[in-house]
Amino acid sequence: MFSEEAAPTAQGLLAPPSTEASTFARVPVSAYANCSQPFRLGERSFSRQYAHIYAARLIKMRPILEERARQKWGDGVAVRKLCELQVGEKSCVVGTLFKAMQLQPSILQEISEEHNLVPQPPLPKYVHPSDELILEDELQRIKLEGAIEVQRLVTGTILAVYGSEQDDGKFLVEDHCFANLPRPLPWKGPSSDRFVLLVSGLGLGSGSGESLLSTQLLVDVVTGQLGAEGEQSCAAQISRVILAGNLLSQNTQSRDTINKAKYLTKKTQAASVEAMKMLDEILLQLCTSVPVDVMPGEFDPTNYTLPQQPLHHCMLPLASAYSTLQLVTNPYQADVDGIRFLGTSGQNVSDIFKYSSMDDYLEILEWTLLAGHISPTAPDTLGCYPFYKSDPFILTECPHVYFCGNAPRFQSKLLKGEDGQQVLLVTVPAFSTTQTACLVNLRNLSCQPISFSGFGAEDDDGDMEVGH
Amino acid sequence: MEQPRRITDSFPRQRRAGRAPGRNKVKVKGRGCPRARPRVPPPAEEPPAAPPDPALLEMLRRFDLAWEYGPCTGITRLQRWERAQALGLSPPAPVREALLEHRDNPDVTYSLWHEYAL
Repeated sequence: MFSEEAAPTAQGLLAPPSTEASTFARVPVSAYANCSQPFRLGERSFSRQYAHIYAARLIKMRPILEERARQKWGDGVAVRKLCELQVGEKSCVVGTLFKAMQLQPSILQEISEEHNLVPQPPLPKYVHPSDELILEDELQRIKLEGAIEVQRLVTGTILAVYGSEQDDGKFLVEDHCFANLPRPLPWKGPSSDRFVLLVSGLGLGSGSGESLLSTQLLVDVVTGQLGAEGEQSCAAQISRVILAGNLLSQNTQSRDTINKAKYLTKKTQAASVEAMKMLDEILLQLCTSVPVDVMPGEFDPTNYTLPQQPLHHCMLPLASAYSTLQLVTNPYQADVDGIRFLGTSGQNVSDIFKYSSMDDYLEILEWTLLAGHISPTAPDTLGCYPFYKSDPFILTECPHVYFCGNAPRFQSKLLKGEDGQQVLLVTVPAFSTTQTACLVNLRNLSCQPISFSGFGAEDDDGDMEVGH
Repeated sequence: MEQPRRITDSFPRQRRAGRAPGRNKVKVKGRGCPRARPRVPPPAEEPPAAPPDPALLEMLRRFDLAWEYGPCTGITRLQRWERAQALGLSPPAPVREALLEHRDNPDVTYSLWHEYAL
């Protein structure tokens, strides 16, 4: 991998400078195509309700689920709508899941004066033992009970349940299935080692300079200014850098200035202005050397609802002079050297984390892939644009690399599907807390973390490490 | 009924779109109420198209209320037809022909619940 190639030449660091300077050419961009067109919004109209996106989602995914149901429970399984259900007859129903949660923050409860409630403080998880699952199709809804894990599932998932309706009007579930992995894409990967660096959560403008040194080390490794010739030749194989969201820190979002009087806040600047200047300088260093894709995240200056639109290029005047800088949407889908990348800045996964009993980010990422939808909780608990024609978050093709940013720690897994799909699932950790980035090898879909650390406050003679 | 002349009579009176909800159901013809338009001279263009007959409007209303094609509020009937076509639900072709023929008629293009806010 990266370090094994570099290690034999490490003693080059202690040798006198060579007579001729060695140059390493970065691997050229062979094939790149940005496939995020469904996530770009042109004219935006908010005068619509969200019923359209749910209807489009159900209509689009219904045939896929009926096919899966027939594969799982036999060709003769009776697929019924809720209005056609007979009591006691075993049948399969396809619909949208709704989870009635007691602790879910409800704006109506908060502003209702008769309850006189103090707004609920944000909790890490909103699950409660009394949550119920309800299946809705186009016309009716029915409560689910039986062999179904209520705590694990979230609102907005399309699934097929097999069971029968009881006398009390509830549906007794014996088995259920999801859309499963979508159809595979042909493999057109490179034959030699090529790396893509995934970083997320740079967290600039946080007020603490701990991760700034690590960020600079990262930029130096990628631009080949760090290490001996072995390290530099390995860095030349990095063909792309993807910044997966949260380039600015949450501290830049403080809205204290709104509550203060005007005369106190006249000369203050938003914290994000300074942070954007820092980001511009960092991106300038990166863009002179390697193509960079910048995805916006939860705390970045772009719209709040998914899909987040690219940052505006006028905020990055120095870096946007280079054509290697690409400002892209969140979620982001692209073909890099024949490998399909699909990923988000982590809002979808962290939202499911809040409303489900699943604790592991990698498990949630895998679950969204198996459920066939990038973020089923949009628009219920995650802001979403009111699409009406189609739901662009439905997974129609299986990506080769599926990542999510701003995870608590680095995890990766190679998932193999029944139809020959191979997906590398990567949870990219937040760089500001973990100082770790991910290197994905496009030749064999393997992934390794690369972490940076500087001088610690405790030890006097700490080393600067670039750990692999 | 002669009102005493006011200083505000020099400005044209404009009725806004939030009229009584029951109004639309009674009207059969496609024209809006003449009172409601602001007092500007009508544009002298080509003669207005023939008003769609009640059977056509009834067919369009049935298209709106058909649950197979998804929700009908907030989008025009043509947008709903295109969406149903794209999702493979095979909506009836006469509806689309009628929508394209009477494209300038708001009672034809907009859905049944258009006058209601959201």
